[in-house]
Amino acid sequence: MTEQRLAVKNRVGKYKSFFSNVGSFLDKPGFRTLLPLTGLIVMIVIFAHLTDMRIIQTRSINLILSQVYVLMIACTGVFMVMTIGGLDFSQGSILGVSSIVISYLSFYSIPLAIVAGIATGAFIGAFNGLFHVVFTIPSFIVTICSMFLFRGICAYLTTDAPVAAVTGITAYHSTWINISLTLSVLLISFLIYQFTRLGITLKAIGAGETAARFSGIRTKKTKFLVFMAAGAITGFAAFLNVAKVGSITATSGSQLEAQILIALVLGGMPIMGGAKVRFSNIIVGALMFAILHNGLVMVGLDSAQQQLIKGIVFVLVVALTIDRRQLLVIK
Amino acid sequence: MREIVLQAENVSKSFGITKAVNNVSLSFEKGEIRGLIGENGSGKSTFVSMLAGIHPRSEGRFILEGKELKVRNQVEANRRGVAIIVQETGTLPAITVADNIFLGNEDQFVTFGIKKTGAMNRAASLLLEKYGFDHINASSMIDLYSFEDRKLIEIVKATYFNPKIVIIDETTTALSQKGREELYKHMLRIKNEGNTVIFISHDLSEVLEHTDSISVLRDGELIDTVKSSEATEDDLKRLMVGRELKKHYYRTDYGQPVSDEVVLSVEDLSVPGEIDGISFELHKGEILGFGGLSNCGMHEVGKAIFAASFDRNGYVKLADGTTINSVPGAINNSIAYASKDRDNESLVSSASIRDNICLPSLSELADKGIIRAKKMNKFAQKNADVVSIKMTGIDQFVSDLSGGNKQRVVLARWLGKDSDIIVLDSPTRGIDVKVKADIYEMMSELKDKGKSIIMISEEIQELLGMSDRIIIMKKGKISGEFMRDETVGEEDLIGKMV
Repeated sequence: MTEQRLAVKNRVGKYKSFFSNVGSFLDKPGFRTLLPLTGLIVMIVIFAHLTDMRIIQTRSINLILSQVYVLMIACTGVFMVMTIGGLDFSQGSILGVSSIVISYLSFYSIPLAIVAGIATGAFIGAFNGLFHVVFTIPSFIVTICSMFLFRGICAYLTTDAPVAAVTGITAYHSTWINISLTLSVLLISFLIYQFTRLGITLKAIGAGETAARFSGIRTKKTKFLVFMAAGAITGFAAFLNVAKVGSITATSGSQLEAQILIALVLGGMPIMGGAKVRFSNIIVGALMFAILHNGLVMVGLDSAQQQLIKGIVFVLVVALTIDRRQLLVIK
Repeated sequence: MREIVLQAENVSKSFGITKAVNNVSLSFEKGEIRGLIGENGSGKSTFVSMLAGIHPRSEGRFILEGKELKVRNQVEANRRGVAIIVQETGTLPAITVADNIFLGNEDQFVTFGIKKTGAMNRAASLLLEKYGFDHINASSMIDLYSFEDRKLIEIVKATYFNPKIVIIDETTTALSQKGREELYKHMLRIKNEGNTVIFISHDLSEVLEHTDSISVLRDGELIDTVKSSEATEDDLKRLMVGRELKKHYYRTDYGQPVSDEVVLSVEDLSVPGEIDGISFELHKGEILGFGGLSNCGMHEVGKAIFAASFDRNGYVKLADGTTINSVPGAINNSIAYASKDRDNESLVSSASIRDNICLPSLSELADKGIIRAKKMNKFAQKNADVVSIKMTGIDQFVSDLSGGNKQRVVLARWLGKDSDIIVLDSPTRGIDVKVKADIYEMMSELKDKGKSIIMISEEIQELLGMSDRIIIMKKGKISGEFMRDETVGEEDLIGKMV
C-alpha cells in the first residue's frame, strides 16, 4: 500500500522535475527569446503542410493579418501591465465600450471619435488602476469586475439594436492604414520602452515591488499609469475595430482579454512579468495566435475542437515556460 | 567510549555557487548532548536541516544505527527517529494544539477515513500533562498561545515519540529564563533515556553548561569537536572565528574628533507601534551606531529616515532645511538606505546585477530622458568592480549570488549614487568574515571622504568597533548614548538594552 503510494509519488516527482528541468533550460541566455520564434516558424511549417500551402497564399495572409492588428495593439498595453506582474481581464470590455463611443461620434468627426475612443479606454484603465493601487486589490480581481461592469454597459447601449458607425468609416479599413497604425504603436512603444527609464522601471516593479520602491521608483503612480495606458492603447485599437466591423454588438470584443493573454504567453512572456520579458513577445505572440487560430479553421476543425486544441497548447506552453523559482501571487 | 548512534560522512550542501556545508564528517554518541556552534552562516542550521530532511543533501550521507538515513521531509525523518525544533516558528497557525502535535501522524486516530478528534485531544492532553505543560489546553487554537508556549508545544511535538536524535536549533533565544529551564530539563531527560540531543545556540555559556561535547563549524567546515568540561568560552570563540579576527577587523583609532557640522537632524520621529519620539543629529564624517534588541525599533528608524515607513510622524531634515518625505525625495537628497531585508527591500532579486546597480541612479544616467544600454553597462561594470562583486557578468541575476555578494551589489548601487548620508541596516548580517572585513574597510573609507553613516546593528562588537557614537534603543525609545571610547564595553550597552 505505502509502496504503491510512494511509486506514484516518485512518478509524479519525475514529471515535475521534467517540467522544471525544461524551465531551467529556458533560462539559458538567448533561449527564451529564440524559442518562441522557433515555435512560430514550426507552426507556419506545420499548417502550410496541413493546408497544402493555402495558409501562405496572399489571401490567407491578408485574412490573418486583418485579425492581428487589434490584437497586437492591445497586446502592447497589456504587455506593460504583465511586465509589472499584473493582469488585465477588462480589455475586451474596453474595446467594446470604446468602439461604441467611436461609433456614436463618427457621425460628427472621425478625429474626435478617435480621441474619444482613446479617452474612454484611458478612463476605464484609470478605474482599474485606481482600485488596484489605492484600494490595493489584486489587479486580476479588479479587472474581472470591470470586465463584467463595462460589458454590462455595452449590453445596455446595444439593447435595441447594434450601434452602427457612419457608413464611410469602413474606408479606413485598408491594409495600409492598418499596418501603418499598428507599426506606429509598436514603434513608439518600443522606443519609449527601450530608451527611457520606463522599461527598466516596469521590469523592476514586476521582479520585486518593495525593492523597486526602495530604489526610488514611484511604484503606485507608475502602476496606475500603466493600467491607464493599457486602457488608452486598447481604446485606440477600437478605432481599427470599428472600421473593420462597421457596427457594434453587445459581445463586440469579448474574449479579447483571453486572446491577449494566450498570445503574450505563446510569445514567450513570463506570466509573472519581471526582468525576463522581451518586447518581441508581443509581435511573435500575436502572430502565433492568429496563425494558430486561422490554421485550425483552415484545417477544417469545428469550433469546439479549435478551442480544445488552443487550450491544450496554452497549458503546455505555460507548464514548459513558467519560472517556478519565483511563483508568487499575481498582483 | 559510548556507542555511536549517528554518523555524517562527507556531507556537503551547495546553494548555487555558495558552499554552505563543505565535506563535514561527524559522529554522535548515544545518550549525549552535543553542542553545535559557529558564526552566522557557518552552516550549522543547514547541516541539521539536511539531517532532518528539510533540505536535500548535495553530497555525502548520514548513517543512523548502521543504516543509511535517506529522508525527504520531516515526517519521514520523524519515522526514522530524527526530530527537529526549528529556529523559526515550527507550528502552524489556525489549527488546534493537538492538531499541531500530531501533524503528519494523524493516521493513528483515523478509522475508515474519519478522524477521531476527541481521542486525539485526549492523547495530546496526556502528553502535555506528562511534560508538565498543564496550562496548555490541547483542544484550543494554537493562536491563543504566546510564542514561548508554542515553542513548548514544539518540544512535545518533536519528542513525544521518543526519537533517537533530537535537534534543537537556536530555540533558546525565543524563550524566557523559565522556558529555558523547561527546555534544559527535557534535554536532560532525553539524554537519560539514552537518546541524543544536538543543541545549536549562540549563547556560549549556555552551550558549555548544558552539553557534553561541542562541535565547531566555520564557513561550512568542521573545525573541531571539544569536550565541554575542558573548554572555555574563549577557546570556543577562537575556534569559531579563526585567526583572521586578530588582524585589523574593526577601526583602531580612538579619540579623533568628529566634525561639528550637522548633516541630518531627526526630530520627534514616530511610527505607531514601532518607534516613539526619536530625535538625534548626524554629523559630517560620523559613523553613528544604533543598537538594541532586535525588536527595539532601531530597524524602523532606518526605514523612517528613508521615508519608507508606513504612517510616519516627525521630521527628517537636511542641513539646508529640506525635509525628507518620500523615498525618491530621500534618494535625490543623497540619502542611501540598505535594508536588513536584503532580498526583498534592498535588491530586486530576480533582476540582473546591472539593473540593480542602475535603478537608483536612473535620473543621472538619462540624457534628456533617453537612457542608453551602453552607458548603463559601463556604469554598472564600474561600480561592480569598485566593490569587487564575484560574478559571471553584470547580466547575472542577483538571486544567484551569495549573501556577501548580494551585499556588495547593495553597496555598489549606493556608491554609484555617491550618496552623502548612508543608512546601513545590519550590513554584515549572514556574511562571511572576508566580506565583513571589506565592508568595514569601505565604511572607514567613506567616513574619511566626509560621508556620514548610520549603522544599525544587532552585533554589539561591530557597534563598539566601528561607531563614533552609539545610540541604544529600548522599546521604541532612545535609552542611552555612548561616545567612542575604549573603556565602553559590551556590558555597558547591554545594560541600556534590557
